[in-house]
Amino acid sequence: MKCAGPIDVRDVDESSINIDPIQVGGRLTPEAMKAIIAYGDGYSICDNCRKPFRLDYIKTPPVDVFMRDLAAFLHMDVARVVPGARRGFQAVADTYVERGDPVLITALSHYTEVLAIESRGGLIREIPKTTENLITPDATAGKIEDVTRETGKTPSLIFIDHVDYQYGNLHPVREIIKAVHQYDIPVLLNGAYTAGIMEVDGKDLEADFIVGSGHKSMAAPAPSGVLAATAERGSEVFRTTSVKTDVTSRTFGIKEVEMMGCTLMGVTLVGMMASFPRVQERVRRWDQELANGNLVVDALKSIQGTEIRSEYPRKHTLTRVDTTKSFDIVAKNHKKRGYFFSSALKTKGIAGIIPGATQVWKFNTYGMTRAQAEHVASSFKEIAAENGLSVL
Amino acid sequence: MVSKPAIDAVFEAMFILTDIRVMLRETAPGHVLSPAQREETVALLGTLEKKVEILRRELVP
Repeated sequence: MKCAGPIDVRDVDESSINIDPIQVGGRLTPEAMKAIIAYGDGYSICDNCRKPFRLDYIKTPPVDVFMRDLAAFLHMDVARVVPGARRGFQAVADTYVERGDPVLITALSHYTEVLAIESRGGLIREIPKTTENLITPDATAGKIEDVTRETGKTPSLIFIDHVDYQYGNLHPVREIIKAVHQYDIPVLLNGAYTAGIMEVDGKDLEADFIVGSGHKSMAAPAPSGVLAATAERGSEVFRTTSVKTDVTSRTFGIKEVEMMGCTLMGVTLVGMMASFPRVQERVRRWDQELANGNLVVDALKSIQGTEIRSEYPRKHTLTRVDTTKSFDIVAKNHKKRGYFFSSALKTKGIAGIIPGATQVWKFNTYGMTRAQAEHVASSFKEIAAENGLSVL
Repeated sequence: MVSKPAIDAVFEAMFILTDIRVMLRETAPGHVLSPAQREETVALLGTLEKKVEILRRELVP
Protein backbone atom coordinates (compact mmCIF):
# COMPACT_ATOMS: atom_id res chain seq x y z
CA MET A 1 0.00 0.00 0.00
CA LYS A 2 1.30 3.45 -0.88
CA CYS A 3 0.86 6.85 0.75
CA ALA A 4 1.74 8.66 -2.44
CA GLY A 5 3.75 7.79 -5.56
CA PRO A 6 6.61 5.52 -4.52
CA ILE A 7 6.19 6.14 -0.77
CA ASP A 8 5.01 3.09 1.12
CA VAL A 9 2.61 3.34 4.03
CA ARG A 10 4.68 2.97 7.16
CA ASP A 11 2.81 0.60 9.45
CA VAL A 12 5.61 -0.94 11.49
CA ASP A 13 4.00 0.04 14.78
CA GLU A 14 0.53 -1.09 13.72
CA SER A 15 1.65 -4.46 12.39
CA SER A 16 4.32 -5.35 14.93
CA ILE A 17 5.90 -4.62 18.28
CA ASN A 18 8.69 -2.20 17.49
CA ILE A 19 11.82 -2.56 19.64
CA ASP A 20 14.03 -0.20 17.63
CA PRO A 21 16.46 1.33 20.16
CA ILE A 22 16.02 4.93 19.00
CA GLN A 23 12.41 5.06 17.83
CA VAL A 24 10.14 4.01 20.64
CA GLY A 25 10.14 7.11 22.87
CA GLY A 26 9.36 9.30 19.89
CA ARG A 27 6.23 7.48 18.77
CA LEU A 28 3.38 9.90 18.67
CA THR A 29 0.58 10.03 21.18
CA PRO A 30 -2.98 9.92 19.77
CA GLU A 31 -3.21 13.63 20.55
CA ALA A 32 -0.13 14.39 18.44
CA MET A 33 -1.41 12.26 15.57
CA LYS A 34 -4.64 14.24 15.57
CA ALA A 35 -2.93 17.62 15.89
CA ILE A 36 -0.64 16.98 12.94
CA ILE A 37 -3.63 16.08 10.76
CA ALA A 38 -4.83 19.64 11.29
CA TYR A 39 -1.42 21.34 11.27
CA GLY A 40 0.36 19.60 8.39
CA ASP A 41 0.76 22.71 6.28
CA GLY A 42 4.11 24.49 6.38
CA TYR A 43 3.67 27.63 8.48
CA SER A 44 0.52 26.39 10.19
CA ILE A 45 1.62 27.43 13.66
CA CYS A 46 1.98 31.02 12.48
CA ASP A 47 -1.68 31.89 11.72
CA ASN A 48 -1.92 34.06 14.83
CA CYS A 49 1.66 35.24 15.17
CA ARG A 50 1.55 38.91 16.13
CA LYS A 51 4.04 41.47 17.42
CA PRO A 52 6.76 40.97 18.60
CA PHE A 53 6.75 38.14 16.02
CA ARG A 54 8.51 35.45 17.96
CA LEU A 55 7.53 31.82 18.42
CA ASP A 56 7.43 31.87 22.21
CA TYR A 57 4.97 34.79 22.15
CA ILE A 58 2.29 33.01 20.07
CA LYS A 59 -0.90 32.66 22.11
CA THR A 60 -3.05 30.68 19.63
CA PRO A 61 -2.26 27.85 19.82
CA PRO A 62 -0.70 28.54 23.24
CA VAL A 63 2.99 28.21 22.36
CA ASP A 64 3.82 30.84 25.00
CA VAL A 65 2.37 28.71 27.78
CA PHE A 66 3.95 25.55 26.37
CA MET A 67 7.45 27.06 26.44
CA ARG A 68 7.04 28.05 30.09
CA ASP A 69 5.57 24.67 30.98
CA LEU A 70 8.43 22.94 29.18
CA ALA A 71 10.99 24.80 31.32
CA ALA A 72 9.04 23.97 34.47
CA PHE A 73 8.79 20.31 33.45
CA LEU A 74 12.59 20.10 33.39
CA HIS A 75 12.90 22.31 36.51
CA MET A 76 14.83 24.89 34.54
CA ASP A 77 14.22 28.64 34.20
CA VAL A 78 13.82 29.01 30.46
CA ALA A 79 13.28 26.70 27.50
CA ARG A 80 13.10 26.90 23.74
CA VAL A 81 12.19 24.30 21.18
CA VAL A 82 14.90 23.38 18.70
CA PRO A 83 15.06 21.23 15.53
CA GLY A 84 16.48 18.21 17.33
CA ALA A 85 18.86 17.86 20.26
CA ARG A 86 21.80 18.43 17.95
CA ARG A 87 20.69 22.01 17.30
CA GLY A 88 20.58 22.53 21.05
CA PHE A 89 24.18 21.30 21.29
CA GLN A 90 25.11 23.61 18.46
CA ALA A 91 23.50 26.69 20.03
CA VAL A 92 25.37 26.14 23.29
CA ALA A 93 28.67 25.36 21.56
CA ASP A 94 28.29 28.47 19.39
CA THR A 95 27.86 30.55 22.54
CA TYR A 96 30.74 29.24 24.62
CA VAL A 97 33.35 27.61 22.39
CA GLU A 98 36.05 29.64 20.66
CA ARG A 99 38.59 28.21 18.23
CA GLY A 100 41.16 26.15 20.13
CA ASP A 101 39.13 25.94 23.32
CA PRO A 102 39.25 22.53 24.97
CA VAL A 103 35.78 21.02 25.33
CA LEU A 104 35.00 17.77 27.11
CA ILE A 105 32.63 15.08 25.98
CA THR A 106 32.54 11.50 27.23
CA ALA A 107 33.71 8.23 25.75
CA LEU A 108 30.02 7.45 25.21
CA SER A 109 28.95 10.76 23.68
CA HIS A 110 26.80 11.07 20.58
CA TYR A 111 28.50 12.15 17.37
CA THR A 112 26.40 15.30 17.11
CA GLU A 113 28.09 16.65 20.24
CA VAL A 114 31.41 16.17 18.45
CA LEU A 115 30.17 17.95 15.35
CA ALA A 116 28.83 20.88 17.37
CA ILE A 117 32.30 21.39 18.87
CA GLU A 118 34.14 20.69 15.63
CA SER A 119 32.12 23.35 13.83
CA ARG A 120 33.47 25.89 16.33
CA GLY A 121 37.07 24.70 16.01
CA GLY A 122 37.09 23.45 19.59
CA LEU A 123 39.61 20.92 20.87
CA ILE A 124 37.66 17.76 21.71
CA ARG A 125 38.75 15.61 24.61
CA GLU A 126 36.92 12.57 25.98
CA ILE A 127 36.30 11.63 29.58
CA PRO A 128 37.14 7.91 29.76
CA LYS A 129 34.55 5.35 30.86
CA THR A 130 34.96 2.65 33.46
CA THR A 131 35.04 -1.03 32.59
CA GLU A 132 31.34 -1.00 33.54
CA ASN A 133 30.78 1.64 30.83
CA LEU A 134 29.99 4.42 33.25
CA ILE A 135 31.30 7.98 33.48
CA THR A 136 32.38 8.95 37.00
CA PRO A 137 32.97 12.28 38.80
CA ASP A 138 36.59 11.27 39.46
CA ALA A 139 37.28 10.53 35.80
CA THR A 140 35.68 13.86 34.88
CA ALA A 141 37.73 15.87 37.37
CA GLY A 142 40.87 13.98 36.29
CA LYS A 143 40.24 14.82 32.65
CA ILE A 144 39.68 18.48 33.43
CA GLU A 145 43.03 18.53 35.23
CA ASP A 146 44.77 16.70 32.37
CA VAL A 147 43.33 18.96 29.68
CA THR A 148 44.11 22.10 31.63
CA ARG A 149 47.73 20.96 31.95
CA GLU A 150 47.84 20.03 28.26
CA THR A 151 46.38 23.25 26.86
CA GLY A 152 46.88 25.84 29.56
CA LYS A 153 43.11 26.51 29.54
CA THR A 154 40.22 25.04 31.45
CA PRO A 155 37.55 23.56 29.17
CA SER A 156 34.98 26.13 28.07
CA LEU A 157 32.13 23.62 28.12
CA ILE A 158 31.39 20.02 29.12
CA PHE A 159 28.81 17.70 27.58
CA ILE A 160 27.53 14.94 29.84
CA ASP A 161 25.07 12.28 28.73
CA HIS A 162 22.35 11.51 31.27
CA VAL A 163 21.77 8.11 29.67
CA ASP A 164 24.11 7.21 26.83
CA TYR A 165 22.96 5.88 23.48
CA GLN A 166 25.44 3.00 23.37
CA TYR A 167 24.58 1.10 26.54
CA GLY A 168 21.55 2.93 27.90
CA ASN A 169 23.46 3.36 31.16
CA LEU A 170 22.37 5.94 33.69
CA HIS A 171 25.40 7.97 34.70
CA PRO A 172 25.84 9.72 38.07
CA VAL A 173 25.30 13.13 36.53
CA ARG A 174 24.48 14.98 39.73
CA GLU A 175 27.85 14.08 41.20
CA ILE A 176 29.63 14.71 37.89
CA ILE A 177 28.10 18.18 37.56
CA LYS A 178 29.07 18.99 41.14
CA ALA A 179 32.66 18.05 40.31
CA VAL A 180 32.65 20.13 37.11
CA HIS A 181 31.25 23.20 38.83
CA GLN A 182 34.27 23.30 41.13
CA TYR A 183 36.13 24.44 38.02
CA ASP A 184 33.39 26.95 37.08
CA ILE A 185 32.71 25.25 33.76
CA PRO A 186 29.16 25.19 32.30
CA VAL A 187 27.62 21.75 31.86
CA LEU A 188 25.27 20.70 29.11
CA LEU A 189 23.28 17.65 30.16
CA ASN A 190 22.28 15.57 27.17
CA GLY A 191 18.85 14.24 28.09
CA ALA A 192 17.98 12.84 24.67
CA TYR A 193 17.17 9.47 26.26
CA THR A 194 15.69 10.78 29.49
CA ALA A 195 13.77 14.07 29.14
CA GLY A 196 10.23 13.03 28.28
CA ILE A 197 10.37 9.44 29.44
CA MET A 198 11.67 9.73 33.01
CA GLU A 199 11.77 12.51 35.59
CA VAL A 200 14.58 15.02 34.95
CA ASP A 201 15.08 17.73 37.55
CA GLY A 202 17.59 20.25 36.30
CA LYS A 203 17.61 22.19 39.55
CA ASP A 204 18.43 19.12 41.58
CA LEU A 205 21.10 18.07 39.10
CA GLU A 206 22.40 21.68 38.95
CA ALA A 207 22.65 21.50 35.17
CA ASP A 208 23.37 24.73 33.31
CA PHE A 209 21.65 23.36 30.22
CA ILE A 210 19.42 20.41 29.49
CA VAL A 211 18.95 19.31 25.92
CA GLY A 212 16.17 16.89 25.08
CA SER A 213 14.98 15.22 21.92
CA GLY A 214 11.36 15.47 20.83
CA HIS A 215 11.59 12.63 18.35
CA LYS A 216 13.58 10.35 20.67
CA SER A 217 11.81 10.83 23.96
CA MET A 218 8.94 13.32 23.81
CA ALA A 219 6.50 11.63 21.44
CA ALA A 220 7.01 14.29 18.79
CA PRO A 221 7.74 14.41 15.06
CA ALA A 222 11.32 14.86 13.87
CA PRO A 223 13.28 17.03 13.99
CA SER A 224 12.29 18.43 17.35
CA GLY A 225 13.86 18.97 20.72
CA VAL A 226 14.26 21.28 23.66
CA LEU A 227 17.07 23.44 24.97
CA ALA A 228 16.49 24.50 28.57
CA ALA A 229 18.76 26.68 30.66
CA THR A 230 19.17 28.43 33.97
CA ALA A 231 18.23 32.11 33.96
CA GLU A 232 21.89 33.12 33.95
CA ARG A 233 22.90 30.84 31.10
CA GLY A 234 19.64 31.48 29.27
CA SER A 235 20.46 35.16 28.97
CA GLU A 236 23.67 34.15 27.20
CA VAL A 237 22.51 31.40 24.86
CA PHE A 238 19.18 33.08 24.08
CA ARG A 239 20.66 36.54 23.53
CA THR A 240 18.75 38.73 21.10
CA THR A 241 19.95 40.39 17.94
CA SER A 242 21.58 43.81 18.17
CA VAL A 243 22.44 44.30 14.52
CA LYS A 244 21.52 47.29 12.37
CA THR A 245 22.14 46.84 8.66
CA ASP A 246 24.20 49.43 6.81
CA VAL A 247 22.15 50.21 3.71
CA THR A 248 18.57 49.77 4.89
CA SER A 249 19.15 50.41 8.62
CA ARG A 250 17.01 47.42 9.43
CA THR A 251 16.87 45.94 12.89
CA PHE A 252 15.30 42.62 13.84
CA GLY A 253 13.40 43.12 17.03
CA ILE A 254 13.89 40.44 19.67
CA LYS A 255 14.91 37.56 17.43
CA GLU A 256 17.26 35.21 19.26
CA VAL A 257 20.56 34.84 17.43
CA GLU A 258 21.30 31.20 18.30
CA MET A 259 17.73 30.18 17.51
CA MET A 260 18.02 31.76 14.05
CA GLY A 261 14.68 33.38 14.67
CA CYS A 262 11.85 30.86 14.88
CA THR A 263 12.82 27.22 15.22
CA LEU A 264 9.95 24.76 14.96
CA MET A 265 6.86 25.47 12.93
CA GLY A 266 3.91 23.31 11.91
CA VAL A 267 3.85 19.60 12.71
CA THR A 268 6.99 19.44 14.83
CA LEU A 269 5.92 22.04 17.35
CA VAL A 270 2.23 21.20 17.40
CA GLY A 271 3.12 17.51 17.78
CA MET A 272 5.33 18.28 20.78
CA MET A 273 2.65 20.46 22.30
CA ALA A 274 -0.15 17.96 21.77
CA SER A 275 1.86 15.12 23.31
CA PHE A 276 3.08 17.19 26.24
CA PRO A 277 0.26 16.51 28.75
CA ARG A 278 0.68 12.78 28.24
CA VAL A 279 4.48 13.11 28.37
CA GLN A 280 4.21 14.92 31.71
CA GLU A 281 2.07 12.08 32.99
CA ARG A 282 4.08 9.19 31.55
CA VAL A 283 7.36 10.08 33.26
CA ARG A 284 5.65 9.15 36.52
CA ARG A 285 5.14 5.61 35.24
CA TRP A 286 8.83 4.95 34.64
CA ASP A 287 8.82 2.07 37.13
CA GLN A 288 6.31 0.21 34.95
CA GLU A 289 8.49 0.78 31.91
CA LEU A 290 11.52 -0.58 33.76
CA ALA A 291 9.52 -3.60 34.88
CA ASN A 292 8.60 -4.36 31.26
CA GLY A 293 12.22 -3.87 30.24
CA ASN A 294 13.51 -6.16 32.95
CA LEU A 295 11.04 -8.85 31.94
CA VAL A 296 12.58 -8.89 28.46
CA VAL A 297 16.15 -8.58 29.74
CA ASP A 298 15.65 -11.49 32.13
CA ALA A 299 14.25 -13.59 29.29
CA LEU A 300 17.38 -12.88 27.24
CA LYS A 301 19.61 -13.65 30.22
CA SER A 302 17.92 -17.02 30.55
CA ILE A 303 19.21 -18.01 27.12
CA GLN A 304 22.50 -19.78 27.61
CA GLY A 305 25.48 -17.80 26.30
CA THR A 306 23.61 -14.47 26.14
CA GLU A 307 25.16 -11.56 28.00
CA ILE A 308 23.71 -8.17 28.87
CA ARG A 309 26.37 -5.56 28.08
CA SER A 310 24.48 -2.68 29.71
CA GLU A 311 24.58 -2.14 33.46
CA TYR A 312 22.44 -4.63 35.34
CA PRO A 313 19.92 -4.45 36.93
CA ARG A 314 18.68 -2.13 34.24
CA LYS A 315 17.90 1.51 34.99
CA HIS A 316 16.75 2.26 31.44
CA THR A 317 14.71 0.51 28.76
CA LEU A 318 17.45 0.82 26.11
CA THR A 319 19.69 -2.25 26.45
CA ARG A 320 22.76 -3.57 24.67
CA VAL A 321 22.96 -7.34 24.46
CA ASP A 322 25.67 -9.71 23.28
CA THR A 323 24.42 -12.89 21.64
CA THR A 324 27.73 -13.90 20.09
CA LYS A 325 27.64 -17.11 22.14
CA SER A 326 23.97 -17.86 21.51
CA PHE A 327 22.09 -16.58 18.44
CA ASP A 328 25.28 -15.96 16.48
CA ILE A 329 26.30 -19.60 16.91
CA VAL A 330 22.92 -20.58 15.43
CA ALA A 331 23.49 -18.13 12.57
CA LYS A 332 26.73 -19.83 11.53
CA ASN A 333 24.87 -22.98 10.49
CA HIS A 334 21.43 -21.63 9.68
CA LYS A 335 20.37 -21.53 6.03
CA LYS A 336 19.38 -17.87 6.45
CA ARG A 337 22.70 -17.19 8.20
CA GLY A 338 22.50 -14.05 10.36
CA TYR A 339 19.13 -13.11 8.95
CA PHE A 340 17.46 -16.03 10.71
CA PHE A 341 17.09 -13.98 13.89
CA SER A 342 15.34 -10.90 12.51
CA SER A 343 13.30 -13.23 10.29
CA ALA A 344 12.20 -15.30 13.30
CA LEU A 345 11.32 -12.13 15.20
CA LYS A 346 9.32 -10.88 12.24
CA THR A 347 7.37 -14.12 12.18
CA LYS A 348 6.44 -13.44 15.79
CA GLY A 349 5.43 -9.87 15.00
CA ILE A 350 8.51 -8.13 16.40
CA ALA A 351 10.40 -5.49 14.42
CA GLY A 352 13.22 -3.03 14.98
CA ILE A 353 16.35 -5.20 15.12
CA ILE A 354 18.84 -4.59 12.32
CA PRO A 355 18.48 -7.49 9.86
CA GLY A 356 21.50 -9.76 10.09
CA ALA A 357 22.52 -8.66 13.59
CA THR A 358 23.24 -11.67 15.81
CA GLN A 359 26.28 -10.54 17.76
CA VAL A 360 25.96 -7.26 19.66
CA TRP A 361 22.70 -5.36 19.23
CA LYS A 362 20.39 -3.00 21.05
CA PHE A 363 16.71 -2.90 21.73
CA ASN A 364 14.30 -0.69 23.62
CA THR A 365 11.10 -1.82 25.34
CA TYR A 366 9.75 1.67 26.06
CA GLY A 367 6.01 2.14 25.54
CA MET A 368 5.00 -1.50 25.40
CA THR A 369 1.93 -2.79 27.12
CA ARG A 370 2.57 -5.56 29.64
CA ALA A 371 1.07 -8.09 27.23
CA GLN A 372 3.46 -6.93 24.51
CA ALA A 373 6.46 -7.19 26.85
CA GLU A 374 5.41 -10.73 27.76
CA HIS A 375 5.10 -11.56 24.06
CA VAL A 376 8.60 -10.22 23.31
CA ALA A 377 10.11 -12.03 26.31
CA SER A 378 8.54 -15.36 25.42
CA SER A 379 9.40 -14.91 21.73
CA PHE A 380 13.13 -14.58 22.46
CA LYS A 381 13.02 -17.76 24.52
CA GLU A 382 10.98 -19.62 21.92
CA ILE A 383 13.35 -18.65 19.11
CA ALA A 384 16.27 -19.86 21.22
CA ALA A 385 14.61 -23.17 22.04
CA GLU A 386 13.46 -23.71 18.44
CA ASN A 387 17.09 -23.36 17.36
CA GLY A 388 18.61 -25.72 19.88
CA LEU A 389 19.82 -23.21 22.48
CA SER A 390 19.39 -23.99 26.15
CA VAL A 391 16.93 -21.82 28.01
CA LEU A 392 17.30 -21.85 31.79
CA MET B 1 -20.70 28.95 1.24
CA VAL B 2 -18.62 27.23 3.88
CA SER B 3 -19.92 23.90 5.06
CA LYS B 4 -18.82 23.96 8.68
CA PRO B 5 -20.56 20.63 9.40
CA ALA B 6 -18.58 18.98 6.58
CA ILE B 7 -15.29 20.47 7.78
CA ASP B 8 -15.94 19.36 11.34
CA ALA B 9 -17.07 15.92 10.22
CA VAL B 10 -13.97 15.28 8.14
CA PHE B 11 -11.64 16.12 11.03
CA GLU B 12 -13.73 14.21 13.56
CA ALA B 13 -13.75 11.18 11.27
CA MET B 14 -9.97 11.29 10.93
CA PHE B 15 -9.63 11.62 14.70
CA ILE B 16 -11.83 8.57 15.21
CA LEU B 17 -9.73 6.62 12.71
CA THR B 18 -6.67 7.77 14.64
CA ASP B 19 -8.10 6.28 17.82
CA ILE B 20 -8.60 3.01 15.96
CA ARG B 21 -5.05 3.24 14.63
CA VAL B 22 -3.76 3.62 18.18
CA MET B 23 -5.73 0.54 19.21
CA LEU B 24 -4.00 -1.40 16.42
CA ARG B 25 -0.69 -0.25 17.86
CA GLU B 26 -1.58 -1.19 21.41
CA THR B 27 -2.72 -4.66 20.43
CA ALA B 28 -0.01 -5.47 17.86
CA PRO B 29 0.85 -7.97 16.61
CA GLY B 30 -2.19 -10.15 17.32
CA HIS B 31 -4.85 -7.41 17.33
CA VAL B 32 -6.95 -9.36 19.80
CA LEU B 33 -9.15 -6.80 21.52
CA SER B 34 -10.15 -6.99 25.16
CA PRO B 35 -13.85 -6.68 25.98
CA ALA B 36 -13.35 -3.00 26.87
CA GLN B 37 -11.47 -2.37 23.62
CA ARG B 38 -14.18 -4.13 21.62
CA GLU B 39 -16.82 -1.95 23.26
CA GLU B 40 -14.78 1.18 22.53
CA THR B 41 -14.27 0.14 18.91
CA VAL B 42 -17.99 -0.47 18.39
CA ALA B 43 -18.70 3.02 19.75
CA LEU B 44 -16.00 4.60 17.57
CA LEU B 45 -17.28 2.91 14.43
CA GLY B 46 -20.82 4.03 15.21
CA THR B 47 -19.70 7.63 15.57
CA LEU B 48 -17.60 7.33 12.42
CA GLU B 49 -20.64 6.23 10.43
CA LYS B 50 -22.50 9.30 11.65
CA LYS B 51 -19.65 11.54 10.47
CA VAL B 52 -19.65 9.87 7.07
CA GLU B 53 -23.40 10.42 6.88
CA ILE B 54 -22.89 14.15 7.59
CA LEU B 55 -20.37 14.31 4.76
CA ARG B 56 -22.81 12.62 2.38
CA ARG B 57 -25.57 15.01 3.40
CA GLU B 58 -23.42 18.14 3.18
CA LEU B 59 -21.36 17.45 0.10
CA VAL B 60 -23.35 15.12 -2.15
CA PRO B 61 -27.00 15.65 -1.19
